[in-house]
Order: sequence, then C-alpha cells, then structure tokens
Amino acid sequence: MFAFLTGPMLWLSFAIFVIGCAWRVVKYVRGLDWQLDRVPYGYYRELAVKGALKSIFHWLTPYGSRSWRLKPLYTAAFFLLHVGLVIVPLFLFAHVMLVSERFGLSWPTLPAGLADALTVLAMAAGVFILLRRFALPEVRIITTAHDLWVMAISLAPLLTGFVAAHQSGDHSGWLLAHIVTGEIWLIAIPFTKLSHVVLFFCSRAQIGVDFGVKRGGQRGRGIVW
Amino acid sequence: MPEGIYCNKQPITTDEALKALLSDTRGKKYYEEMESLEVDREKLWSSIQKTMKSRMKTWLSVCARCGLCADSCFLYLVNDRNPEQVPSYKIHSTLGEIIKRKGDVDNAFMRHAMEVAWSQCTCCNRCAMYCPHGIDIGIMMGYLRGLLYSQGFVPWELKIGAGMHRVYRAQMDVTTEDWTETCDWMAEEQQDDWPGLEIPIDKEDADIMYTCNAREPKHYPEDLAEAAILFHIAGENWTVPSEGWEQTSLAMFAGDWEACKLQVQNVYAAIERLRPKRVIGTECGHAHRATVVEGPYWAGRPDGQPPRPYIHYVQWVAEALRTGKLKIDPTKRIKVPVTYQDSCNYVRNWGLAETAREILSYIVEPGYLREMTPNKEHNYCCGGGGGFNGIGKFRPQRNKALLTKRDQILATGAKLVISPCHNCWDAIRDLEEEYRIGIDWSFLKPLLIKMVVVPEHLKPKDDDGDA
Amino acid sequence: MFGKIVFATSGAPDCDSAARVAFDMAGRYGSEIVVFHCLGIPGKGDSNLVLDVRTGEEVDPDEEYLEGVREELRTTYAIQLSACKNARIEIAVGNPSREVLRAARKEDADLIVMGARRAGVEVGGFYRRGVIGGTHRKVAKAARCPVLTVSRPAASFWGGFSNIVFATDFSKASQSAFKLAQSITRDVDGELHLFHCLDLDRLQSPIALTQEGIEGRLAEARRKIQVEYAAKLGDLAKRASIEVWEGSPYVEIVKFARERQADLIVMAHHTRNVDPDEGPDERPFGSTLEQVLVRATCPVVSVNRPDKLPEASEA
Repeated sequence: MFAFLTGPMLWLSFAIFVIGCAWRVVKYVRGLDWQLDRVPYGYYRELAVKGALKSIFHWLTPYGSRSWRLKPLYTAAFFLLHVGLVIVPLFLFAHVMLVSERFGLSWPTLPAGLADALTVLAMAAGVFILLRRFALPEVRIITTAHDLWVMAISLAPLLTGFVAAHQSGDHSGWLLAHIVTGEIWLIAIPFTKLSHVVLFFCSRAQIGVDFGVKRGGQRGRGIVW
Repeated sequence: MPEGIYCNKQPITTDEALKALLSDTRGKKYYEEMESLEVDREKLWSSIQKTMKSRMKTWLSVCARCGLCADSCFLYLVNDRNPEQVPSYKIHSTLGEIIKRKGDVDNAFMRHAMEVAWSQCTCCNRCAMYCPHGIDIGIMMGYLRGLLYSQGFVPWELKIGAGMHRVYRAQMDVTTEDWTETCDWMAEEQQDDWPGLEIPIDKEDADIMYTCNAREPKHYPEDLAEAAILFHIAGENWTVPSEGWEQTSLAMFAGDWEACKLQVQNVYAAIERLRPKRVIGTECGHAHRATVVEGPYWAGRPDGQPPRPYIHYVQWVAEALRTGKLKIDPTKRIKVPVTYQDSCNYVRNWGLAETAREILSYIVEPGYLREMTPNKEHNYCCGGGGGFNGIGKFRPQRNKALLTKRDQILATGAKLVISPCHNCWDAIRDLEEEYRIGIDWSFLKPLLIKMVVVPEHLKPKDDDGDA
Repeated sequence: MFGKIVFATSGAPDCDSAARVAFDMAGRYGSEIVVFHCLGIPGKGDSNLVLDVRTGEEVDPDEEYLEGVREELRTTYAIQLSACKNARIEIAVGNPSREVLRAARKEDADLIVMGARRAGVEVGGFYRRGVIGGTHRKVAKAARCPVLTVSRPAASFWGGFSNIVFATDFSKASQSAFKLAQSITRDVDGELHLFHCLDLDRLQSPIALTQEGIEGRLAEARRKIQVEYAAKLGDLAKRASIEVWEGSPYVEIVKFARERQADLIVMAHHTRNVDPDEGPDERPFGSTLEQVLVRATCPVVSVNRPDKLPEASEA
C-alpha cells in the first residue's frame, strides 16, 4: 500500500497534475478569440508582454495592487495560505530529502522552525478565509460547496503533514494520510478551481494585455493598481 | 404566445416598426408581452457554444468567490451593501446559471436576468481592476446583454435605440438631410460673431474629421456650433462627413452586435471616403468606446484600430492647449471650486486620466480643482452609464445609483462639475434635478469658448455699435 | 408685407397679446400663420420622456399626448384660427429657443411673433441657464427675420400703428432695423421718430465730461442720424423727426416712446459681447433691447440682419 502510494500513484498524480495543467493552458490559449475578446492578440507585442507581466507581478506581490492594499487582512491571509501551499512544500527539508534520495537532486531548504510556523500560519489563514466566507454576507452569497471542498482539499495535506512531522512514535498513519491527501490535491488541481494554479497566470496575462494594449496602455500611465 | 407584436426576437429594421414600437408609450404593452415571450432554448445554448470562448469560461470557472469585487462596485455600495449586488453574484446568478443549465431557462428567469444586466451593472469595468484573477464582470454583462437581446429580453428604450441605429445609422431619427441642414444652419448662425466660420461637409483629405452624438444635431445644435468655433479659432482644417457622422451606439448598450457593426462600418466608410489625417469625436464616453475602442473588432480589424487615428475630444483639447493653437486668457480661468468627472469609457477604458488633468491645468485657476475620491481610473461611474440613464423601467434604480456621484461631488465641495461625456452630463443634470445640491455642470466646449483668446484676425470687424 | 408669420406661443394667457397682434397682422396681410408651440424639453438621458414646459412634469410625447396639445391650442385660439384662412399648428419637442429658430428657418418665416414674458413656467432650477427665460433672447439674437415681441396687452393692433420709434445705436445691425422701420412706416403711412440715446454710463469718465462735451456729442449724434438715416428717407422725411437724448438707453427709449405715444418700437440688438466677464451664454445680447421689451407699453420689433427684411421679400 505504502509502496503503491509513494510509487505508481505518486507518479500518476504528478502526471495528471502536469499534463492536466498543460492541457488547461493550451486549451485557454487556443480558445482566445481576438474578435470576440476584442483584444488584438498578436499585435503590439511589446505592450502586450509588458502589460501581462506588469499585471502578474503586481498581483503576486503582497500589497502590490490597489485591491490588495484596500483589504490588508484578507491579503495577509491570502499570501500566507499560498506561501504555505506552494513555497513551503517545495523547500521543506523532508521533501527535498526524498527527492535527493531518489534522484540525487537537492536544493536549499527552509529551517524547520520557519517551515512549521509558515504551515501553521497557512492553516490559520485557510481557516480565516473559511470563516470570512460565512461571516461576510457579500462572500457568503457567492460561496458554493465547490469552494469549501477546494479549501478542504488544500488544507488537508498541510494538516496531515504537520501532524505527521510532529507526532512521536509510530506516525505511519498520518504520513499515509498526508501522502493520500497530497495526491488528491495534485489530481484535483486540473479539474477544479485549483486550476487557477496555471489559469491565474493566463487570466491575469490576458487582462494585462487587454488593458495594456487596448484600454489605455498606449496612452497615459497604462494600467494602474 | 411565443412572440408579441411589440416584444419579440426580431430587431427593428424599418421606420414603420420603429414608429409602431414608439407608439407603445413607455413600453407598457411591450413589457406585458415580454411576460409571455418564449425562450428559444436551443438557439440560446447554441449561440453560447459558438461565442463563449476560453476567456469567459475561465472567468466563470476560476472565480474564487472571494468577494473582493463587492466593494469595487458602486451599485453594491449605494444599495446598502445588498449582497445581491455583488458583481460576482450578479453574473453567476444570471449568465453562470444559463450556462449551468445549458440554456434551459424560462421566461421569468430571462426577465430577471434582464433586470440584472441593465439595472445592476453599468459596464463600467471597475471590478476588473479589483479582482485578483482579473475577471471583468462588465464584459460578461455585455455578453449577457447580447444573449438577452437575441432572445428579445431587452428594455424597450434600448430596443428602439438599436432600431434607430439600424434604420437611421444614428441613435435618433436624424437623417442625412437633417444633419447637413443643421451644419449649414449652425455655420450661418455664427457668421456674425465669427466671420469666415465654416462647417465643411465632406471635405476630402482634411486634417480632422469630426464625429458627434445624434443628440447634438437633434436637440443641442449649439454643441456643434461650439465645436466649429473652437476648430475655427485653432485654425484647424476640418470637416464633417455627410454620412457616418454619428459616433454613438445605443446598440452597444442594447447588446445588438449586428447593429453595432453596421453603425461603426458607416463611420469607418466615411473615414475611408474622406481620408482625413485623423478623426476626433465629441465629448462622449460611450461613443468613443463604441467607435474607437470596441468598434474595430466589430468591424473585423485585427489590429484593433479604426482606419485612421481616432481620438477623443479631450485629447484634441489637451493638444491644442499644449501647442498653443488654443490659448487661455489667464484672467478668465475657472475660479470656483471645480471637479472633474472621469468617464469610465475613455478614462478607465482608454487611459485619458492624465490628459484630462492636463486640460484642467490650463483652464482652472490653481487651487480651485477639487478631485473626487476615488478618481481617475478608479473613479465611480456617474450612475447612468451603460444605458441606465435612458431606461424608464429602471428609473428608480438609476436615481438611487446617482447617490454615489452626488455624495462624491458633495464631498469635494465643488460648485461646478466638468463632464466631457454625454452620459455623465445627463446623469449629473438628473442628479441635480433629483436631489438639488446646487451645482452646475458643463462640457468642455462652452467653458473653453468663454476663456479662449480670440486672435485679432478672427474677430468680427467692428461696426459702430456703442452699446 | 410679411408673407409668413411664425407665432411662437406657450399657449398660456401671457401670450394672448402677442396672439392678437399676430393674428391681426396675418388677417390684414393675408399672411400664412404658423402657430408654433414647443411643448417640452427632452430630459432624462436617452429616454423618450420630456419635461412639459408648462407644468414641468415628465410626459411621454406620444401621438395621443401631441394630439391633446394640438387640441388645446386649437381651443385656445379657436376664434382667431377660424378667422384665418391660412393657419396651422405645429408643435415640437426640444429646447424652446432652438425649436422656434428651427421652425422659423424651416418655414422660411418673414416674422416671428412672441410674447415677451417667460414662455411658460420655469421648468426646474436646473434649466436656469436660460433655456426658458432666455428663449426670447436667444431667438432674437439668432433669428434671421424680424422678431416682434408683445409683452403687454397692447392697445394697438397692426394697422393701428402710426407712431413708430426707431432707436439706433449706429451699429451695423441697426441699419437692418432702420430699413425695417422705414418700410413699416411707409406701409402704415405713419410717422417715424429716429432716436438715439447717448449712453452716459458708457462714457469713460462721466464726471469729467462737461455739459459742453455732452452737448457736442449730442449734436454729433444728431448729425449722424441725419446722414445715416434721415437722408435716405426720401419722401418719408417729411413725416420723420430726429431726437437725441442722453442717459441710460433703455430708460430713455421707453420714455421717448411714451412721450411720442409710439405704438411700435423698432430696434436692433447688439451682437457684441460688451461685458468681457460674460461668456456667450450670458452675453447680454441686446440687453438694452431686453430691458425695453419688459418696460415698453407697445410692441417691439427687432432685427439685426438684412436677410429677411420685408423690402427684400418684396423685391
């Protein structure tokens, strides 16, 4: 069981994740239509690239956009959650060790204390975002079951991983749960809203091009945040 | 009853049909018939499949439901933070639902969607700037309007408006003769005060071709006269086309994309016929959006540009002031607290915020400009955009929407609002009528004429009048 | 004399005097008369609603409503209309001054007759920029034909005119007004009083101006009237008088007209911007004319262009 989950199943999960995401990107790009979208894709390359990068950069920078600045608390939760979900797993000592053992590749890792802190903060942020969903009428009204599932799927690997790492004695149960939830998470990405892992960049780049080329990028200050 | 006599899926294409629909006062029968208008579900779904591409699909599917769009929407704020006014909710409960049900929606749903599409969104696109995913609900509302229009669920006035464009290539029943006659009339009327002033029609290879809003020849021809006076003072070599002079597009508000195309092609044909160096539009936001920003795509121009450079009136004014073609008498600058209404359509959606400020630096005495909060690209819609102003059925909602601008203006303490956009101008006039806050409002042209230095050689030769 | 008269009316009682004069003239000259009424101001964005000029209420200008307004006008002017062979009613929606001008142009009118009081109630403070109050001002300024204004129940009617006062400021526009005065006088076989008022307010330093100086200017103005107008009167000269006073022009014109028991004042209005602080909207177009209009006890006819003078139409 353990061997299957850390062997073929892990490979399969990664394959689904990578191919699925690639497929979503390809589908997105192929489904763009200059006339229906009313954006001159393919013209004004320089402005387009500039607009796209500017747009992505400002929104990936904490408090880099006006919207982020207007909602400081939510923005903090947002970035903590994403750091915990994306950065921490990539630079976690245990994960790097695994890769190193199997493939001989290795890269710098996060100090254990910092990783723990970030994980806890990410979970707290996730919980905060969930609570916010129910507390604020303007968010409650647009919340769907899908959103809750997605959050659950995302938080599960964090929680299980954290417990597994900190349990004394036999922790194979929690480790197993961590591996399973992690795989579910990977597989879910291309098929759920988690596809924003790649589609965020697509969508942001697209609106960046739209504003940068057509809606003002050729005049004045271009898109502003 | 699948289709009504007044309310049906057919666009208006003849003058008779227009008159017939107009005769139905306030669309009373029209809206009655709408209650039993059948939804062509198959057509609805097939047109969605054909026209809904990855961008919009992605927008709908990745929306994180974070609610950051809520506070970006002035309609949400002004309606006491009613959750049903959250942009994300507005689109998911309408367009999103139609897609979820694969077009299987009923009449009541469509009528509700119509109310949302035309009374809960002015397509100001402000939310697009506040969404982490860059989702533009305004664009999707525009798309939804198109679907609703094709099924006959469109406010009465806008069905008429789109029909006007189809029949007259103008938003009002102004014919080519009416138009050219108005040009002659205005030129004639100004001759005493401005000797040599002309409104040249169909002059080829001029430096400037000027286009306007049908409302001007119809009701406010002075606006055309004022444009002529300013071009005259600036010494511009300009012209107006006899055909293709109407820049606005109620068809765009209505979601009648075919009429949009017909309308904009008419203007582009004039450009190609007269070969001006560039085209200048009047002080109108949506006209600019229709003809310059979106028009090229309707007309199938992949570079997204009209046949010749096409600028907004504020761009010409800024340039004329910068280059000294128009000189302002410093003693006549505005010396009352004044604010500027940023039009969504050429400020947020075309980047002219700084250009407008440049004009203000010439015409407002330093210290008298009071900016609204927020302003420039982040400014709120006037409250009447996207066709909201004209729809009788949604007047109460529109009047409520005006409160945003009213409070913004009041907070500035300004007594004058400069508003180079017909829609904003109308909305501000209506808000003054509705709420009486004691402000004045103006286009740029009349203000400029009051303060511009008239070169000696353009002044009328003195007669001996001593009074 | 005037082939086609456009009578612009609000339909309200304050246009009754103007109506009497307009219909009398039409009857006397067999003129075609167009009773023109602008019923409402377009309002509310792109909607079809208009604000009724009389009530200030929002109305739908549909066929039914328009017919109602026509019917009302037919009733108001029932007697006059029945006496006039060639009369019709036209109504329009728009800014009143603009629509009156549009109608005059479209009809190629030879004369516009209006009541001088506000043509209807003030519709909403937001139209204060002269849409209503300035109707007359705007029409008088831009019309190409003479504009006859009757502000009070005029004792006279057309044909009863016998004492015509022509008030001049020696402007180019006044020449057109003079030609009009001349042909009217000839036509009614009346007397013509050529009048000018030396505007003391506009003299640069009135205090420094001596009595002698003033008298010198008065004499000069008299000479000018003689040269520019009286000399061109021909056989009319024996029925003409010349008078020059000093003071505020509108006061003196009204006083003079009263003294001569004038039944018609003919004058131009000034097209120049006399006050640099006033923009085009607020330009006191013929502010003298306006003041005269409100105060005069007789009709006032103004013109400042040669295009549509009765002479020209006869020639």
